[in-house]
Amino acid sequence: MKKNGVNMIKISAKNVDVFYGKKQALFNINLEIEENQVTALIGPSGCGKSTFLRCLNRMNDVIDICKVQGEIVINDFNINDKGCDVVRLREKIGMVFQKPNPFPKTLYENISYGPTIHGMAQSKQEMDEIVETSLKKAALWEEVKDRLHEPGTGLSGGQQQRLCIARAISVQPEVILMDEPCSALDPIATAQIEELIDELKKEHTIIIVTHSMAQAARVSQNTGFFHLGELIEHGSTDKIFKNPENNKTQDYITGRFG
Amino acid sequence: MSEATHTVKSYEEELQSLNKNIIKMGVSCEEALGKAIIAITTRDSENAETVIKNDEKIDKFETTIEQQVVNLIALRQPMAIDLRETVTALKISSDLERIGDLAKNISKRTLLLNENLPKNLVDALVRVSTNVQKQLKSVLDAYLDRSSSMATNVWENDEQIDELTNLCMQEVIKYLKEHESNLDDGTHLLFVTKNIERIGDHTTNIAEQIYYLVEGEYLEGDRPKGTEPIVTGEK
Amino acid sequence: MNKNKEKLLAKRYSSEKRFQFLGKSAIFMALLFLAIFIFKIFSTGYTAFQKTWLIVPVNFDAETMYLDANPSKEDLEDADYFEISLQSMFNLDKNANEKQQNELKKMVSYFFEREIKQELINDPSLLGKTKDVYITASDDLDQVFKGNYPRDLPENQRRVTDYQLKIFDQLVEQGKVESKFNLSFFTYPDSREAELAGIASSFMGSIFSILVCLAIAFPVAVLAAIYLEEFAPKNRFTDFIEVNINNLAAVPSIVFGLLGLGILLAVFQLPRSTPLVGGITLSLMTLPTIIIACRASLKAVPPSIREAALAMGASRMQTTMHHTVPLSMPGTLSGTIIGLAQALGETAPLILIGMVAFVNTIPGSPMDPAASLPVQIYIWAESAERGFVEKVSACIMVLLGFLIVMNLFAQIIRHKFEKKWS
Repeated sequence: MKKNGVNMIKISAKNVDVFYGKKQALFNINLEIEENQVTALIGPSGCGKSTFLRCLNRMNDVIDICKVQGEIVINDFNINDKGCDVVRLREKIGMVFQKPNPFPKTLYENISYGPTIHGMAQSKQEMDEIVETSLKKAALWEEVKDRLHEPGTGLSGGQQQRLCIARAISVQPEVILMDEPCSALDPIATAQIEELIDELKKEHTIIIVTHSMAQAARVSQNTGFFHLGELIEHGSTDKIFKNPENNKTQDYITGRFG
Repeated sequence: MSEATHTVKSYEEELQSLNKNIIKMGVSCEEALGKAIIAITTRDSENAETVIKNDEKIDKFETTIEQQVVNLIALRQPMAIDLRETVTALKISSDLERIGDLAKNISKRTLLLNENLPKNLVDALVRVSTNVQKQLKSVLDAYLDRSSSMATNVWENDEQIDELTNLCMQEVIKYLKEHESNLDDGTHLLFVTKNIERIGDHTTNIAEQIYYLVEGEYLEGDRPKGTEPIVTGEK
Repeated sequence: MNKNKEKLLAKRYSSEKRFQFLGKSAIFMALLFLAIFIFKIFSTGYTAFQKTWLIVPVNFDAETMYLDANPSKEDLEDADYFEISLQSMFNLDKNANEKQQNELKKMVSYFFEREIKQELINDPSLLGKTKDVYITASDDLDQVFKGNYPRDLPENQRRVTDYQLKIFDQLVEQGKVESKFNLSFFTYPDSREAELAGIASSFMGSIFSILVCLAIAFPVAVLAAIYLEEFAPKNRFTDFIEVNINNLAAVPSIVFGLLGLGILLAVFQLPRSTPLVGGITLSLMTLPTIIIACRASLKAVPPSIREAALAMGASRMQTTMHHTVPLSMPGTLSGTIIGLAQALGETAPLILIGMVAFVNTIPGSPMDPAASLPVQIYIWAESAERGFVEKVSACIMVLLGFLIVMNLFAQIIRHKFEKKWS
């Protein structure tokens, strides 16, 4: 758990500013994300943590008025460069959203969509394998193996979210971004997802935005605290939750916020 | 505690109540120690009996604080400063409870002691005990003010107490050698001295807790020790 | 204080009751008008689905038809049936004078010769024999038989003469008048004679117009909607386009008719009175309806689906084509059907482009002149003959039935295939 300096840096954000039209949403964010670790981003609503998360796979491109400045380096490559191909970037950086959003198609089609558009399987057999391993990694295989061709929207909320995780890992991304993945789930389903996150960090680097500080404390090794578009504090999770350096961090995690 | 108050008022109140209970418990312990020392120096059995009787109150404080801490952890999941506040409260209360017990033990032994003790022995005892008393008072002040520097002072002063205890021990041993027929008194006095020293140790524990509470880190380094004690601790 | 409160409470309850009463009476009124309308249409229209036939004995005399004993099929086709037909009618009253014979002839439709011919062609063995043949009664006698014609008017004010009525009554007594299902209403084109007029030409005209309209409006509208909703940047220019599409939906249909007249007919010289021109004109009108429906259903696809696809690394085009558009299709299709139903009921623009012309052939392609159902209603409603009154109502019934089926279809598509996003 302790930060020992051995962990490799997977993503490093340098002087990132984000604007929505004339309004600045993020101010000079400098953050390094360690490889094969879970990094939690916490902070009050509207603090920019989700905006920052969406910078990492350039989902902010979808919003016309959103402008991102600064450098975000992943694998020695600045993704904000003009030469960066968004489609290939998103293949490498998966995302799981707040509300489970499976496609209204069958479970099989949900998982096979990514590998299909990226041409990852040469045959039906290969595709079957990808679907099976993805579902197994998402700890969903046992529950759904007999109904792969039923619609994904028929699953429970927690299962749907695990389906979305399976869909995200089907293209073997290096990084998985999770935007409040448990906010719509009950505690049992939440615990299952948290267990899953712990498993996934062996092969993927995970960045999770969460409103639940307890969840951040439970699942992450590093935590960053955002407030009003600034990264106030960033460090190992146990340090942040036992003895944060900044008063704002302290006030937020102890529930003393205005 | 931080200047800002919690959004949830009842949480704030629970933390404050915990804080108050620690202070009240600390004051009770201070009183008990004071009375025990008066009892032993002035041979006043009335004070001694009060101390014995009041120990129950201190024990009750510990139970209350323990419950409060468990409730806070279970229901509020305190973080950062609140977490340290809660955890140190638990540890301080158990140290205080030990202090109460030790004061009670001193008083019990007081009741069994001979009426007339040599003055130099009493003086030595008074020297140690006033120092310990001072330490206890300072540590409670440090807790009240959330002052890590005051806590560090207390922690450093423990060395002096150890030395004074050793001196006192030597006096008692001398007394024992001189009055072999008074083996009972001598033994009791040895324990009393040792108990006072233990109280000093618990006070130092509390100081360490306060330092952790305020700074979020442990006091580094070995606890200052005086010369090796002649008689090893009984408990 | 307490009393005031109770008063207030009572007031609140009574105002709610009042509101409910008003609402219910509004619904009642609407239903009442609908019921009256439907009752009126049905009560005047249902008789049009029956047709009156006179059963007349016909002597298929080979000599009168200049035929030999074993005629070929061509011979039968070319034979002269007029004489035997006329004779059959005259035989109804052997004592009739020349004027009365003329009246006898007018008791049946001018199709009677063809009906007799058909009988013989169907069964050539009848040659030389006499057989009772069903002959369409004239529209006036048809109305008399259905009880729609007042007999007590003075003779000079009716189109049926006393003599004709006498003969007709005799036939009724002999059981030689029969009412049967009026199949010709659906299979015959329009005609000047009410007893022979059918909706086949206008029905086919409507179908062709709708098909042309669908073929043009649907792809154009869907492409426009997808581009505007999924790809176009949101700026003043696209806002301007959006406002204008909405305005277009509110333009009176006659304006589109003028457009069709001025551009399609005058500039492009497309054939007049054809479903092609009608369909193009209607498609202009339907276009905004479909665009609006399609955009609304694209908007209803939750952004989370788009985000999911984008985050999987799908391009914008893939996201749109693989997910958004298929999900919006049920809404788009039901919107399209409703737009087409609107177009189906449209009259004014079609009148302007000449689809109001009298067409007595059934169109075989969109390039043939045709009418359409609503225009047919308009044409018949203009006609003076009593026989057309019931036809108007009958045609309205057919149109309404058509519209109800289309709307039902739209509803079914919407409920069955639309995904619910709660």
